[in-house]
Amino acid sequence: MTTLNSNATEQQSPTFGFWVWLMAPERRGALLITPAIVLLFAMNILPLMWSFGLSFFRYRANRLNPPEFLGWDNMFRNYEKVTSSSAIWDSFQTTAIIVAGSVTLQVIIGFLLALMFAREFPFRKILLSMVLTPMMLSFVAVGVFFKFFYEPSFGLLSQAIRVFTGEPYILLGTKWGSIWGIIIADAWMWSPFVMLLVLAGLVSVPKYLYEAADIDRASWFRRFRTITFPYIKSLLLLAVLFRTIETFKLFDLVYIITEGGPGSATETLSVYVYRQGFQYFRTSDASALGYILLFVVIVLTNLYLYVVNRRSEEL
Amino acid sequence: MSILKITGLQKSFGAITAIDGLDLTVEEGEFFALLGPSASGKTTSLRCIAGIEKPDAGQIEFEGSDVVPTPIQGRGMAMVFQAFALYPHLTTEQNLAYPLRERGIEQTEVVRRVAEIAEQLRLGHTLARKPDTLSGGEQQRVAIGRALIGRPKLLLLDEPLTNLDAKLRHDTRAEFKRLHRELGMTILYATPDELEALSMGQRIAILEQGRIRQVGTPDQLYDAPESDLVARRVGSPVINLIRGTAKANATINLPFADISGGNWARTIAGFDVNTEVLLGLRPSQLKLVEGTPGGPNFKATVELLEPLGDVTILDINAAGVEMQMVLPEAKAVGFKVGDSLEIEFDPTTSLLFAADTGTAIS
Repeated sequence: MTTLNSNATEQQSPTFGFWVWLMAPERRGALLITPAIVLLFAMNILPLMWSFGLSFFRYRANRLNPPEFLGWDNMFRNYEKVTSSSAIWDSFQTTAIIVAGSVTLQVIIGFLLALMFAREFPFRKILLSMVLTPMMLSFVAVGVFFKFFYEPSFGLLSQAIRVFTGEPYILLGTKWGSIWGIIIADAWMWSPFVMLLVLAGLVSVPKYLYEAADIDRASWFRRFRTITFPYIKSLLLLAVLFRTIETFKLFDLVYIITEGGPGSATETLSVYVYRQGFQYFRTSDASALGYILLFVVIVLTNLYLYVVNRRSEEL
Repeated sequence: MSILKITGLQKSFGAITAIDGLDLTVEEGEFFALLGPSASGKTTSLRCIAGIEKPDAGQIEFEGSDVVPTPIQGRGMAMVFQAFALYPHLTTEQNLAYPLRERGIEQTEVVRRVAEIAEQLRLGHTLARKPDTLSGGEQQRVAIGRALIGRPKLLLLDEPLTNLDAKLRHDTRAEFKRLHRELGMTILYATPDELEALSMGQRIAILEQGRIRQVGTPDQLYDAPESDLVARRVGSPVINLIRGTAKANATINLPFADISGGNWARTIAGFDVNTEVLLGLRPSQLKLVEGTPGGPNFKATVELLEPLGDVTILDINAAGVEMQMVLPEAKAVGFKVGDSLEIEFDPTTSLLFAADTGTAIS
């Protein structure tokens, strides 16, 4: 039986040595992921490393001059230049304000929504899917929607305020108005995300704990502090971190709603980098700035992963 | 004096009737067991008494007043849940102290009472630990301690031993009896386990499909069950119920023998001939014939042997009727499947039930 089988294999197998080697079962896994790896390398990793290299060169993408190395003793000049400009610190500040405002608002609204959806009521399912819709929309759709919403002549906001004041209302005309406009758009879009995470925590609380707490005569606040909160604590922290990282990188909404304006009032870091790179073509400066941004995000991400790991240990 | 009096309690969940007209009276200081299979309404009854569920109808009188409108917090009862329901993020000490917070009890008194309970339930070494680091038995004792610390007038225990292993169950049964004796507290104990109910309960209520079938002391339930259902529920191995027909002269015709002379003889004499009845014989009432038979006797073949150490349970077959009997280990030595046995029993201790309604005939 065995000899018969091996004979058959010898007869059927093709004679090309490389093909046989390539198709061997132990190489099948590697073979299957190769296209994805090649694509990833070409589209992601190579440009990433290229731009990292560029941050140590003098280069403008709209000129024909080849990149020129800054020299070993001078290689961090681009980093020094971008961090010493006052514009980037303004931009950092703007980003921080938007992150703080939007994440706070998202947590508050998301938390309240979660408390509401944690119990049963009529039309809960329909309402829940409606509340989740903003999260599923694309940034561009949300951006355009809010741009029209804030529009002074026919926007809903302006028209509603005109009923009381008699004058059109230009929200995006001032620095703080514009910042609020962006915070509200971002919070509207992402509060459902916080709600989903908190809701997951809320429904994981066993019901009998509340019953026990009732028998033990615990007040509402005490029940929340000793039973509910411990269950949602780490999920809430995850939501905050995740949203902080994402909002820190916020570009689309800002670019569509205010284009960083008025002036540079709502210029977040991402918008600033975009302008440096693709409007002023300071390619190497923008690269350096991009890596500073990346560093901040990596720090935040590690914090996030630390929390994730700690939660999985807790459960 | 009765501390708890329930009348006409009703509770349904949608189309499912959990409790269907339940009446129950518990005396002060009593250890009262509710015995019933799963879904018989034990847990729902306790939850209605505690106030977690609101009954659809009926009265729950606690210390003389109806507590149905009273919220849970105001009832002065404590409950131990089947799943223990310890607060997972609090230490043993915080779990024990939980019911004492917000009652205006001074901190020094709280500390003293926690120490006292911890000592009583041997939890001293676990005070700083959280529930997930405790063994099943320790978690159980924390749950009991948390229930006892508020000095409730009525302690509700909902299948507290179900989540423990067999050895621990045995120890905890003794523990409950000791606590009941020492604290003199009224305890209402729900269990699906006959052994738990019989060994701890001073009185037992047999619950079936949301109704109480009989209330009595363990002896009353064992010796004088009011229905075949109660007879089957109490006693292990389960009682043998043999279908027969009443004949003239207060005789009952069984597939393998004719019997007369039971306590039921006078009643059965008034029955129509050929009335169907069920004769109840406890497995321990069946004896091997040694010498001349002193009562009704019959032949049976052994179908299965279950040696349990000091006793052996035999599944036997007499003229097509399957029965179980219990023999001391020494007498069952050498028996094997297929052996033929001669068996006798004393008809005066046999029980009789109507075949259609299941009501006891005496």
